[in-house]
Amino acid sequence: MRKAALLLSSALIAAAGIAAAATAAAEDRAVIVKGFGAKSGVVRSFGINSEAAMRAAAELINSQGGVKLADGGTGKIEVEFLDDRCTAEEGISVVRRMASGPTLVAIGPTCSNVAEPLFGVLQKKAGDATDSGLQFPIFTDVAIKGGLAKISEWAFRNVPSESEMYTSLFRWVKQTKPELNSIFAGVEENFAHSRATWYAVMKEAAPKAGLEVKGEAKWLLEDTNFAQQVREIKAASPDILAIAAHPFTTCGVLKEMRRQGVKVKMLIGLTSSSSLETLQGCAKEADGIVIPTSFAPVTQTAEAAAAQAAKYNGSLDLHSAATYENVFILKKVMEEQGVLAKPDTVQADREKIRKGLAALKETDGLLGKSKRTDDREAVKPYLYVHAKDGKWVVLHNPVTN
Amino acid sequence: MGFVDYMQAVIDGLLFGTTYSLIGIGFTLVFGVMQKINMSYAAGSLAGAYCGLVGPQLLGLPPWSVFPLSIAASGLIGYLIYLTCFRFIPLASPLATLMSTVGMLLLLDEIIVHSTAGMPQNYPAIYDGDPIVLGDFILRADLMGVFLVCVVAMAMLLALLYRTRLGMATRAMAQQPVAAQLCGMRLQAVNGLTFVIAGLLGGVAGAMIGAAVGMLSPLIAGPITVKGLIVTVIGGLGSIPGAIVAGLMVGAAENLFQALRNVTERDIYVMLLLFVFLVLRPGGLFSGARGRD
Repeated sequence: MRKAALLLSSALIAAAGIAAAATAAAEDRAVIVKGFGAKSGVVRSFGINSEAAMRAAAELINSQGGVKLADGGTGKIEVEFLDDRCTAEEGISVVRRMASGPTLVAIGPTCSNVAEPLFGVLQKKAGDATDSGLQFPIFTDVAIKGGLAKISEWAFRNVPSESEMYTSLFRWVKQTKPELNSIFAGVEENFAHSRATWYAVMKEAAPKAGLEVKGEAKWLLEDTNFAQQVREIKAASPDILAIAAHPFTTCGVLKEMRRQGVKVKMLIGLTSSSSLETLQGCAKEADGIVIPTSFAPVTQTAEAAAAQAAKYNGSLDLHSAATYENVFILKKVMEEQGVLAKPDTVQADREKIRKGLAALKETDGLLGKSKRTDDREAVKPYLYVHAKDGKWVVLHNPVTN
Repeated sequence: MGFVDYMQAVIDGLLFGTTYSLIGIGFTLVFGVMQKINMSYAAGSLAGAYCGLVGPQLLGLPPWSVFPLSIAASGLIGYLIYLTCFRFIPLASPLATLMSTVGMLLLLDEIIVHSTAGMPQNYPAIYDGDPIVLGDFILRADLMGVFLVCVVAMAMLLALLYRTRLGMATRAMAQQPVAAQLCGMRLQAVNGLTFVIAGLLGGVAGAMIGAAVGMLSPLIAGPITVKGLIVTVIGGLGSIPGAIVAGLMVGAAENLFQALRNVTERDIYVMLLLFVFLVLRPGGLFSGARGRD
């Protein structure tokens, strides 16, 4: 009798211990989400901001209890940000490394010249047994060149549609300033994003808004002398100058325009130039430049997010704001799809995340709701900012106006 | 584009080309003395220019202080490069110093990128006024200032080399190192001083490039290194007059090629120019006989 009671109580204690261990294990589980982007090289600031945004979002989620897992436990998001040096080879190598480990999903990359080949190594169609491509979900925050997500069903993007933004901007410009009739561009010829934005987006949209395209001056990303290009701008005498270039050469050409006394009635810039870099480099010369953007601290959520990212030594702009949003979107998808975050469920969890992202029709963003498209892109709310007195100030909000 | 545009392109190129001349002279000075190429020279010049910004940005000094600080910093960086990449490296090994200086170039680049988060930094101009208009031509007054400063720097260098005992020692060491040592000249001291002088010159180049562009960015280091090497080869390894002429030639040529063709083909033609020299005149413009002067 005594022996039976002893055995029963031991069994009960053991069962309670196992249950407690299982619960503890679920509560301690890590939900590994990695970021990757340019943490070195001249576009390093993008990587710094993305990492800061990711860490800020993860900290907030974890402080609010973490991610609810399918078995009732909670998981804490663990973030690591890897450097792809804005090169395709490094980007692919970094993702292959992530895919061979316990990472459930990756947010990145920074550069479109990485995203395009990288998506090419993913499995084109999910579930295709004949395709040996990587089965690893990537949720892009920054790389903005149009139409990349359709390369693979494992690729998803939360980047604004530049086609939509610039089409709307040119229409608004023509409506509010009907005296402006012509446009000329300055293009960074050796940077995928800059080239694509002028040739495939702005140059197509401008005539549809009734603007005459007078041509373009070209330079390279690392150029330091813009005298000839500014003479071409002067010769074209456009009403609007669209600068499809990043901050270094944007500032270079604006400074040269000041030296040569060349003025235009309106300046329009590249989305990536609506950043601190431009204001630090040439606030005076860039005064008045108008840029469409999918982020500005105009809502309480946006302001709070910007303050959080600043704690991690980054700043929130249209690119890093997407990183921040991505972490929250992934949290929601993981909870809805019932991710387990166990060592033996990694691939199954990845598939759930992929399915969950593919099924999304709408997501919450810092400026409002974004729609999801069938080809895994986003249609995000946007507004126009202009540089004024060394700051980016909202010029017009197409949604509320 | 008409004749005026092409001439304007050549003039702009000549004015900016003086900075290439200074970089070329730096490469050629070191080669002349040590028979080695210092691949990190342009990066060191740029790093010195960045260091100069510490004055106005962190110490509250007036903007013009950036120029002497950049020059001094580049001189110091030049000496540090000598110590780390040449002084204790086995010079007999043909690849040793090439590898060490390439490593230094990458290190300096990364230090700049990490210190500044890759963000371009504003750099004051020599002169911020209106350009000079001469008929159909526009001469940037600040580029004229850059041109003058570079010419003065070159003149001072030539005076140092041909009118001072240090210059004589440098030339002696370049021409007959064993005989120079037998005459009591200290090899390491002369080599170190050569790097300092080249560094100071590089500081002038870095500061003038920053002043001409209006900004500094890590993007500049690579192209300036390549241009400097092209100038050195076209001018003739070890020839200072060659580097001066070649710098102006490369500056003018790249602007002219850009005007004639477009920016995407510009560098192809500059490389073709280099190729033509390598094939037809491999010693460069002023390849002289090696010996004593």
